[in-house]
Amino acid sequence: MTEGSAGPALEARGISKSFGGISALDGVDFDLIQGEVHALLGENGAGKTTLSNVLAGLYRADAGEVLVDGSPREFRTPSQAIAAGIGMVHQHFRLVEPMTVAENLHLGWEDTPKVCTRRALAARARRFMDEIGLQVDPTAYIWQLSVGEQQRVEILRVLARGARILILDEPTAVLTAQETTELFDVLRRLVNGGRSVVFISHKLKEVLDVSDRITVLRRGVKELTRPTEGATIPELALLMTGESDEINVTHRKVDGKIALEISKVTARNDRDLIALREVDLSVREGEILGIAGVSGNGQTELAEVLAGMRMTDHGSVHVAGQDLTNAPARVVIDHGVGHIPEDRIGMGMVLSASVEDNAVLRHYRREDFSTGFGLDRGAVTAFAERLVNVGRVQTRSLDATVGELSGGNQQRLIAHREAAVADRVMIASQPTRGLDVLAAQEVQSTLLDLRDGGCAILLISDDLDEILLMSDRVAVMYEGKVVGVFDSADADRDKIGILMGGHQDADSLR
Amino acid sequence: MRSFRLERQLDLDPRRAALYRVAGALCALVLGALVLVVTGRNPAWILWQALDAIFGRQRGIEGVVLRAIPILMTALAVALSLRMRIWNIGSDGQFLAGAFAAVGVGINLDAPGWVMLLAMAAAGTLAGAVWILIPALARAYWGVNEIITTLLLNFVAVQLCAWAALGFWRDEGAWAIQSTEAIKDTLPKIPGTESLTIALLFPLVIAGALWWVFRSTRAGYEIDMIGGNPKAAAFAGINVPRRVVAVMLVTGAIAGLGGMIHLAGSPGAQQLNSGFSAQYGLSGFIVAAIAGGSFLGLVVGGFLIAGMFFSGLVLQTRGLSVYIILALYGIILIGVAVGEMAARYRLVRAESEVAARRST
Amino acid sequence: MIFGMVDNALLSLVKVAIPASTVVVLCALGVMLAERVGVLNLGQEGLIGIGAVYAVIAATDWGVGSPWISMLVGMVAAATAGAIFAVVVVVFRANQILTGLALAIGGIGLSNQLGVNRNGTPIRTLFAEINPGGRFTSNAFLETFFFHDPIVYIAYILLPAAFWFLLFRTRHGMNMKAVGENPASADAAGVNVTWARIGYSVAGASLAGAGGAYMVLTFTPMWAPDIARGRGWIALAVVIFGAWRPFRVVAGALLYGAMISLGMTAQARNWNLPFLGPRDLSFFLSMIPYLVTIVAILIPAGAARFGRRVRSTSAPGGLAVPYSREER
Repeated sequence: MTEGSAGPALEARGISKSFGGISALDGVDFDLIQGEVHALLGENGAGKTTLSNVLAGLYRADAGEVLVDGSPREFRTPSQAIAAGIGMVHQHFRLVEPMTVAENLHLGWEDTPKVCTRRALAARARRFMDEIGLQVDPTAYIWQLSVGEQQRVEILRVLARGARILILDEPTAVLTAQETTELFDVLRRLVNGGRSVVFISHKLKEVLDVSDRITVLRRGVKELTRPTEGATIPELALLMTGESDEINVTHRKVDGKIALEISKVTARNDRDLIALREVDLSVREGEILGIAGVSGNGQTELAEVLAGMRMTDHGSVHVAGQDLTNAPARVVIDHGVGHIPEDRIGMGMVLSASVEDNAVLRHYRREDFSTGFGLDRGAVTAFAERLVNVGRVQTRSLDATVGELSGGNQQRLIAHREAAVADRVMIASQPTRGLDVLAAQEVQSTLLDLRDGGCAILLISDDLDEILLMSDRVAVMYEGKVVGVFDSADADRDKIGILMGGHQDADSLR
Repeated sequence: MRSFRLERQLDLDPRRAALYRVAGALCALVLGALVLVVTGRNPAWILWQALDAIFGRQRGIEGVVLRAIPILMTALAVALSLRMRIWNIGSDGQFLAGAFAAVGVGINLDAPGWVMLLAMAAAGTLAGAVWILIPALARAYWGVNEIITTLLLNFVAVQLCAWAALGFWRDEGAWAIQSTEAIKDTLPKIPGTESLTIALLFPLVIAGALWWVFRSTRAGYEIDMIGGNPKAAAFAGINVPRRVVAVMLVTGAIAGLGGMIHLAGSPGAQQLNSGFSAQYGLSGFIVAAIAGGSFLGLVVGGFLIAGMFFSGLVLQTRGLSVYIILALYGIILIGVAVGEMAARYRLVRAESEVAARRST
Repeated sequence: MIFGMVDNALLSLVKVAIPASTVVVLCALGVMLAERVGVLNLGQEGLIGIGAVYAVIAATDWGVGSPWISMLVGMVAAATAGAIFAVVVVVFRANQILTGLALAIGGIGLSNQLGVNRNGTPIRTLFAEINPGGRFTSNAFLETFFFHDPIVYIAYILLPAAFWFLLFRTRHGMNMKAVGENPASADAAGVNVTWARIGYSVAGASLAGAGGAYMVLTFTPMWAPDIARGRGWIALAVVIFGAWRPFRVVAGALLYGAMISLGMTAQARNWNLPFLGPRDLSFFLSMIPYLVTIVAILIPAGAARFGRRVRSTSAPGGLAVPYSREER
């Protein structure tokens, strides 16, 4: 750890912030010493992003103050924070997709020449990249870049504005292992050059790898700040979650009938590039097959194909022997295939509709609710009531819109709804992403109950711990291909990690 | 720090939204009245004259009801498409298309009365649907914004009717206004009234039917889901493009039928001429915008706007120009838009919540 | 000989088309500016009306001698209306479609009301046509393009060139395009989204007002009710057709003017087709501009479905969506 100057480079005292009546931060203190990498650790929803948004000038705190180099500053706009030397790289990139890298770098920047051509901007960008040592093609459009490259553009943008303090929000969430290592190298280089980094994450192992100090947040409150040296994973996990409950899962080797069969499926993504290459997978009744892999390697497209939302170029999909290749969503639902979608808000629910309406969204056509043209509202209400009780969905009433519910309750609703749909097969795509621990565990229990009831479950998750916990078998996807399948007994964390990163085996890394 | 803050709520209670919309409209009217005062007119006098025009004369209420019928038809058309978040600005054109087809059948076909009426109704309904077909397909399958496409067809419809009135269906005998020949068959009158026909039943029945559709049928549920989130609707197994086209066609059909019943059900309106459609589509749109999703509110609002419209027409003879009505419409719409948005915010005391939590 | 005749007909068509569509050009350029930063203003009809009526008021009531000043008055009036719209839509974040329609309806009502006593009163202070004289008068081809009033040249050449330069060659333009494509990203980069949207809305509105003023200060030198006659809506469509690029938008507007001009020529010269007599033909032709405009909007959408997704022709990503920084 580098010794800094007199006071901390950045300090926050007593920060509180709430949204729509729900408190996100409550009296949080935080300080950043110059030249250090300080990790901000916490579960999803703990308040890490909110705190960093306050530091970066995007949110205004309801209470508390922020000090830069010892003097209190009030940031009313992001540009004021930028002027103070604070640069934030968000989890969801703030890039303009139809514009080039060079243009994005020069966006909203006083140093950009008033009159300029694309070529001139690209040349300036190249010069800057050479200085810093980070390279991306300046003439490429953002939508053409990989996620890791886009992140690099974000970092460059922030550095170009003269940021001495970098705040990175969950930077490794979308990176491969290789890209993560590269990122850590870049961070070390920057820090050695006198800059300071706030590293926000919920991944314990990475935090231990890269940081000098750690601050743990839980439910909007600071639990602890300590040097990284000597910290252990269990200790941090306990602080993050506040409890050490874990579900007990017994894995089994399943012999039953094949409920879901995917053969040689090839499909394209929204950009018309091949996303799935000859994917072969099968899931038996009463089995959970986990798909491990970093987001963006075809898992989203695979789920969409199985839900009837995306067409395949070739290949076939069979459910319980029936050919459902390229069948429309309605047919897929009718065959008892449930789906917890990755995009909960965009695809899984109608935010402006009531809890009741959303509860039957996928199977309202079933006899219990529909006869002829009519929809039996009484039956719908009854079902919704049962679902809300069994699923422990906390809601004001059945008439409340789903938009009011917290993320955890929304997902409880979706999970139980899909469980009702899933007679034979369930596709769960990132089902616990962004959920607090309790909700996540409940969703996982729901899936396990389904499994025990004979359902075949395809679990897609970028959380390797979750995959290893829940799955009877594990398949690894990389760049649209299935690169390995293991029984849970043979599922070795390191082996899988290597495959997730695209390498064939440990030896090829040396 | 003791202060109030405006906080954006995540949900929108439909009742609250309706209240705010109406409040917005009323505030806008008050503002309009203020403007009238500033420009030297007396809004109280105008209001008094308007009320007198409606209630103080023999055919006042009937006059309002007569205007309400076409306004309600177009309002229903717009309201239905609004449930799917689709903006049908072309209800005027579909209305005219319906009237056009009805006139075509009415003056060229010869058959017993009730057959004629049925034929004209069918023609009108069909024509209205045809008029919205291209915009519907373009929107459902190609994502083309329906606002401009439906709107441009309004102008085409106006030209088409003018062409008919001056060209191929011209009434050779008429000397004052250029118009088409008149249809001979009209809708039966409601006994006891001077000028009301069973045309009145159409919008009321359709409003009731639509209310029932959205309450108790699968189709209504699906339409609401499409309006709320088309992607989720597709995920739910709904064939979104097909539904969108189907509903838009019904929308056009309703407006077209409105044209036919206005033709056959309004005294003196039995022919197409320049005075036929006095911007009913516009008024209908405003009614639909204020009513939000409520069909009851739509009917009530329809009569209110018809009252405003009718008194505006009557007051023309007393020096008030029709254009003020248009200007008022504009102000009302802004009021509704602002009201709709204001409903999403709640005034919250900044301090108390933090303090409350600390004590737990 | 025949070639000369056809040539002449084409040229006179173009000659009439140019001023006829200047209104649309000005209005469409204004719409383009606003939409580039993500604001959809459907109230163009109202803005044109307001611009026109205030230009008339300036020229007749206030006795303004110079058409330039009259036009300025019209522009300021329209800009004021545009400013109210912008505040309602950007600051209060009201629904842009409803508010735009309100502006269209209210603007038409207001302008018709103000113009109620001025129907048909001729305006004497008009924009004069430029006469380059000498060599230019002898050649029919040159005559088509060089004898227009100054506003034509401003609208068709100066403004699109300026806007092209602004949007594609300056830092400011790049920032503005970002506001339209992704206001959240632009905001995070330090661009003031609120002022960008308000500023460009007002600028766009003033151009629409200029269009309205132009109309009463040149070829229709008097007030008439509903003076915009649908041109505001056409302008909105033309911008879609022109894919939000200045010169393409101008081309689209010119196309529209050509169709109007075709209709007028047909009427004047009593053309007829086998099935349609001259009067019928004129009605038919009066429908054509709207139908062609619809087709023109359908073409890019259809092409996108059948070909690769071409990014440069799609609407700004954040169009008509209100932006708020603290959205969670």
